[in-house]
Amino acid sequence: MSLDLALSTILSPIVLFFVLGLGAALLRSQMTVPEAFAKGLAIYLMMAIGLKGGVEMSKAALGADIAILALVALALSFLLPFLSYWALRLTSKMDRLNAAATAGHYGSISIVTFVAGTQALQFAGIPTSGHMVAIAALMEVPAIVSALILARRGLKKSGEVAGSEKGELVREVLLNASVVVLVGSLLIGWVSGEAGMEKIAPFFVTPFQGVLCLFLLDMGLSAGRGLREGWRDLNFGALSFGVYMPLISSLIAAAICSLLNISVGNATLLITLAASASYIAVPAAMRLALPKAKPSIYLTLSLGITFPFNLTLGIPLYILMAQWAVG
Amino acid sequence: MYHKKRLELIIEKPAFKRACRVLEGAGVTGYTALPCMAGYGGGKRWQRGNDLSASRDMVMIVSILDEDILEKIITEIENLIGSHIGVISVGNVNVIRDDRF
Repeated sequence: MSLDLALSTILSPIVLFFVLGLGAALLRSQMTVPEAFAKGLAIYLMMAIGLKGGVEMSKAALGADIAILALVALALSFLLPFLSYWALRLTSKMDRLNAAATAGHYGSISIVTFVAGTQALQFAGIPTSGHMVAIAALMEVPAIVSALILARRGLKKSGEVAGSEKGELVREVLLNASVVVLVGSLLIGWVSGEAGMEKIAPFFVTPFQGVLCLFLLDMGLSAGRGLREGWRDLNFGALSFGVYMPLISSLIAAAICSLLNISVGNATLLITLAASASYIAVPAAMRLALPKAKPSIYLTLSLGITFPFNLTLGIPLYILMAQWAVG
Repeated sequence: MYHKKRLELIIEKPAFKRACRVLEGAGVTGYTALPCMAGYGGGKRWQRGNDLSASRDMVMIVSILDEDILEKIITEIENLIGSHIGVISVGNVNVIRDDRF
């Protein structure tokens, strides 16, 4: 049964389209998805998942268990970068600045991995709650604060970069496209409820899976090109971090889930969020906050290694972990 | 014809607004920004649109300005390029309307 579940996840069209894009990029295919179209797809997917989550939230009252889950999620996002930083420094001998910037990515989340996780659970017939979208949004930001603490610890305070403006980083972190679209759609779905969703379902519900396939084809191309261009900057310790860190984070999250009153579906999503690494919100924030850190290091790891690992092998494993922890 | 300076700044997209603030703060009368397609630097090729964060995209800012203004901003631009990925160059140009720059 567990093997069937793992196989059906790996052989789903979503994952296979991702693998197609990844393989094409690694084989140096010239295929591209137009940039503006890919960005439009990302906004569509975030709107769809936010709306769906909001509608689900409107059906149930928010209780203390959700508040506890939110606190756990915030704590995971804040604390995982410290562990990631220590692991990176230990196994790859990476310098402080790059280790801190990379660690921030591993406390924050990948919304696409989260969406793939919800789809895998849906295929497996395991229900999830709408409020997990809000939990995902909450986990985007605290890791960035941790990365800044780690990067500035023990370093001399350097002067401000010319043209910097007070509040620009806060604005970038709290008002980046993924947070605005995700939280905004969640609130719209919550307010408009089932009746409102029915009117837009032909656009946001029915085509969702097909659009996700298209988007993941592009993500595969991005991941493959990132890996092809960036792997030379990383030693074996750093490259292996991209695989062992999600496993460590997922084990910690699974252990926490075993202590919470949480369903298998929600536990899988929390584990998936903890194991995922950001490649949208955090890189943009790091370019402003820690411009001397190398994007080729943290983007290669989060987008080129961890994302493909989570999408292909990680998610089936996280479902099994959740079943073991709370089932 | 009047002699002016042409400032060309190729900078990573996340620092684009910082560059704009430096130029505007010094009283530059205008500039134009263009997206960069692809390039090579630091031993690596790069291409726009390869990641959703757009944090590796580059932007080119072109501004025609008076030499006095250029001297005023050059230190700040150097500071910006010292922190962010980018290239700066300055050339001599001739313009027809002196009062515009």
